[in-house]
Amino acid sequence: MNDSKNVKDIVRNFINNSINIDALGDDEDLFETGLINSLFAVQLMTFVERKFGVEIGGDDLHIDNFKSVSATAAFVVRKSSGQVA
Amino acid sequence: MNMDIFLTAEQIKRHAEFQDFAASNVEPFAYKWDRAQQIPDSAVSQLGAAGYLGANIPCEFGGRGWDVVTFGLLHEALGRSDSAFTGILTVQSMISAALLKWGTAEQRGKWLGPLAKGEIIGAFALTEPGTGSDLQSMATEFRRNDRTGGLVLNGEKKWISNGQKAGVFLVFGMLDRQPLACLVPRESDGFEIEPIDNMLGFRAAGLARLRFHEVPIPATNIVGKPGFALSHIAPIGLQYGRISTACSALGLLRACFEESTRYAASRKVSGQNLGDIGMIQSLIANMGTNLEAAKLLCWNACRAEDDHLPETFTTSMIAKYFASRAAVQAASDAVQIHGASGCHESSPVARFYRGAKITEIIEGTTQVHEFILGKTFVHNAIGDQRRQRPNPGV
Repeated sequence: MNDSKNVKDIVRNFINNSINIDALGDDEDLFETGLINSLFAVQLMTFVERKFGVEIGGDDLHIDNFKSVSATAAFVVRKSSGQVA
Repeated sequence: MNMDIFLTAEQIKRHAEFQDFAASNVEPFAYKWDRAQQIPDSAVSQLGAAGYLGANIPCEFGGRGWDVVTFGLLHEALGRSDSAFTGILTVQSMISAALLKWGTAEQRGKWLGPLAKGEIIGAFALTEPGTGSDLQSMATEFRRNDRTGGLVLNGEKKWISNGQKAGVFLVFGMLDRQPLACLVPRESDGFEIEPIDNMLGFRAAGLARLRFHEVPIPATNIVGKPGFALSHIAPIGLQYGRISTACSALGLLRACFEESTRYAASRKVSGQNLGDIGMIQSLIANMGTNLEAAKLLCWNACRAEDDHLPETFTTSMIAKYFASRAAVQAASDAVQIHGASGCHESSPVARFYRGAKITEIIEGTTQVHEFILGKTFVHNAIGDQRRQRPNPGV
């Protein structure tokens, strides 16, 4: 089971290291800030799948699932527990 | 190079099988197909019968379920004989990968089996007459049909590989300003396919121009969700396209090296072998060194995809960038080594020369790769510097 705080720390760390900004808020919208490009979008998806053992499919494609650190972490926790995203 | 170090016994065995297939079923016909600008259906059927069109499709859908390294070895072996022929596999793997990842259970059940067996050929319809690398500017449009609950498609696509043979197309367009991908069967009303001939290279790859006029699309043919076609759907297909193209270019590079060394070892000039001349040795040394480097980059890219690493997208770009440029250089040098005989269309190196250039254009041009990779490398350096900087708050 993926713990919410732990997941958020890991996701935040990956995003921070990938997009190189000093202070990304957990609820900051990654799409609105223009921080996400298509290369990073699939890298984040692949990271989440590999790190947390979840498989992202067509039904999971909602901006709300990946728009911020908090949203991505919440998605991972929901997906890990078998809840529909 | 001893490939045993990097490959498993099973992968080496398969590579030998792929090379045998190419030597018997591809190499002897490549010149004829190039001249005819067409690959016969019987040759495509052989690909299907061998299971090669389903190389990356899991066994549960009728594919071979091979690892990506084996997939790369297949494309290398066929690329050694004919880049255009390998292009069929490239595009088939792109649409298969996109469907496998993002297709609904119904779409996967309906299409993956026939794609794996070669009962149907797929095409990836992304490029437009006015839009190459700038995908956000696509003019192809979907609009909702409130009466049917489906969509209506209008627009044009151009330079679509496999377009002449494909039975199903993964078409990218905009729906309410959001990128969307849909499956469009060949027999759809309002869908016209016009062959494109006389390309520089890949002449037998069956390129086509597609025109969509009020084409009805059932909602069940939507792949993924609106808004994600360019950020998530296309990149999964393009990832396989890049790996395939990199490995096919690697095969072409090997072809140039083998043809050049053979010629240099037998051709006499002023009583000595051509290969004894320093300037020829220089060209061959560069070719052979690039071949070994490209091999390592390609297997590394395949392995990163097998291991599902986040950096897999970057490693495949590096492999494609290097292998395609090295193939262009090698093909140019191979023609130079062969002299006048290399300039005649019947010479394999003349075909390699034309085909190599195409590998620098498809699945992202060299310049697009430079833009993204250059930015990524600088970006990583900034990150490294930031992490090494002492935290003033501590």
